[in-house]
Amino acid sequence: MAESTSPRGTDDAGRSVIHDLGYRPYTGPRLGSTAIARSLVLTGFRNAFGLGRSGRSKVLPFLLLGLNLLPALIVAGIMAFVGLDRLPIGYAQYASTTQVLLGVFVASQAPVLFSRDLRHGTIALYLARPLPSAAYAVARWLSLLLATLVFLVLPVVILYAAALLTELDVSDQTREAGVALGLAVLLALSLAGVGGIIASWSTRRGFAVVATIAFLVIANGVVTAVQGIADGEGSTRVAEVAGLFSPYSLYRGLMGAWTDADTLAPPTGAGMVAAYVVVLVGLSAACVGALVARYRREASA
Amino acid sequence: MNRTLFALSAQAVVGRRRGVVLLLLPLALVGLAVVVRLLTSDAVGVEATVGLGYTLALPLVALLAATAVLGPEVDDGSIVYLLAKPVSRHTIARSKFAAAWLTTTALGALPLAVASLVLDSAHPGRALALGAAGVVAGTVYTALFLGLAALTRHAVVVGLLYTLFWEGVIGSVLSGVKWLSVGAWGREVGHAVDDLVDAGGTGLGYAVVAALVVSVGSVWFAGDRLRSFTLRGDE
Repeated sequence: MAESTSPRGTDDAGRSVIHDLGYRPYTGPRLGSTAIARSLVLTGFRNAFGLGRSGRSKVLPFLLLGLNLLPALIVAGIMAFVGLDRLPIGYAQYASTTQVLLGVFVASQAPVLFSRDLRHGTIALYLARPLPSAAYAVARWLSLLLATLVFLVLPVVILYAAALLTELDVSDQTREAGVALGLAVLLALSLAGVGGIIASWSTRRGFAVVATIAFLVIANGVVTAVQGIADGEGSTRVAEVAGLFSPYSLYRGLMGAWTDADTLAPPTGAGMVAAYVVVLVGLSAACVGALVARYRREASA
Repeated sequence: MNRTLFALSAQAVVGRRRGVVLLLLPLALVGLAVVVRLLTSDAVGVEATVGLGYTLALPLVALLAATAVLGPEVDDGSIVYLLAKPVSRHTIARSKFAAAWLTTTALGALPLAVASLVLDSAHPGRALALGAAGVVAGTVYTALFLGLAALTRHAVVVGLLYTLFWEGVIGSVLSGVKWLSVGAWGREVGHAVDDLVDAGGTGLGYAVVAALVVSVGSVWFAGDRLRSFTLRGDE
């Protein structure tokens, strides 16, 4: 038996040592960093919804997702039975209406992806692999981004299906849904960045959740208050500039500029719209950069 | 009440990063009030600014404070050392509540009065009423969130859903929510102090009784949960 199974021991007897038990080494293909990163993204994406984790951790994300989809399903039902000639709520407006649920989802699931490895020290196991720390940070961020996108895109898909099934104008609906998808990507980019950076900064779960919500909701509240007052005073320029200071108000502004949704002080003029996009993308890029720096520090510590 | 426990809890609330965020919330509110005051003439924007502080900043401060006194200890398991001491679990709950309540009052309710004074110094009565509303709502929020923290590890998220989703989103659509809304009870008390504060719409008697029942009940419930406490691992 030992004669045929041991690849090294028997072929040249001179190099055989007494400890060679004949275990065969792994000779199959070894996947590189790309494959590690890809599976990390996929696992993280599943973990964000509690898949592959305990039953108790599935409750919260799916409860939030259900609450988020409920209005869309109701709208679809109304469309089917009453037969309206337009959707009662715009595709892009939907995310703005349910922004609280979206914020709570990102805030509560970001610590799942970012805090636990840091708090329990398992980050050392990841960083001991060939995967660079920057790739780990980006992979985690991508997982959160994908999960946020699912949260944002599913209602749009439901509304779109409802609109098509009740035979509204296909080209109009497709264009509006497309704009909503673009906006959803922009919002998800910034939310995932903000949620990630706060969750990796504070590894206490409860605290990270409140800090993220405080940032998102209070900033939005302050901006809305300033916009309302400035608009009432007649200085629309101030109101437009104020909109640059929170992710939700940026989303709302772009929604006002790109769709026919009625919003407070949407940016006017190509320059201002461009500024909104640049700030939104820049915020996301800055957050990813900070995440990469955060994990590089972790790797060298 | 146990003074040592109170001091330790107070330390947990204001310590390190949590203290920074806790300070930032009222600072943002008062800062906004100052900016609005400088940019506008007479009392424009009192409603918007104070509404922001009352519906968002105050519950968030209460949530941070109430979960700070219990959450981290439960998370890292060190609460068993506290529970092993020969101190009544209800005393522990009350001491922790006292520390959180003091923080909420100082950093949640007081800034409301300050913001109102900054924006509209002609009506000190309104500032007083807002302060009173803030103290009442802040007390109930703190007690409620402390009870939640003793009940579930997801206290923060449940608390957020209650304030932002139930009171905020659902409350703006269905007016019946006011009967189960801490914010409305506080407004009712504020309205009784000064007419400039909008009434919550539940009647003063109901508001006071409901606030008392929920506060006392929640703190007692927190103590009761600590009495039969089981430690679970991380999920």
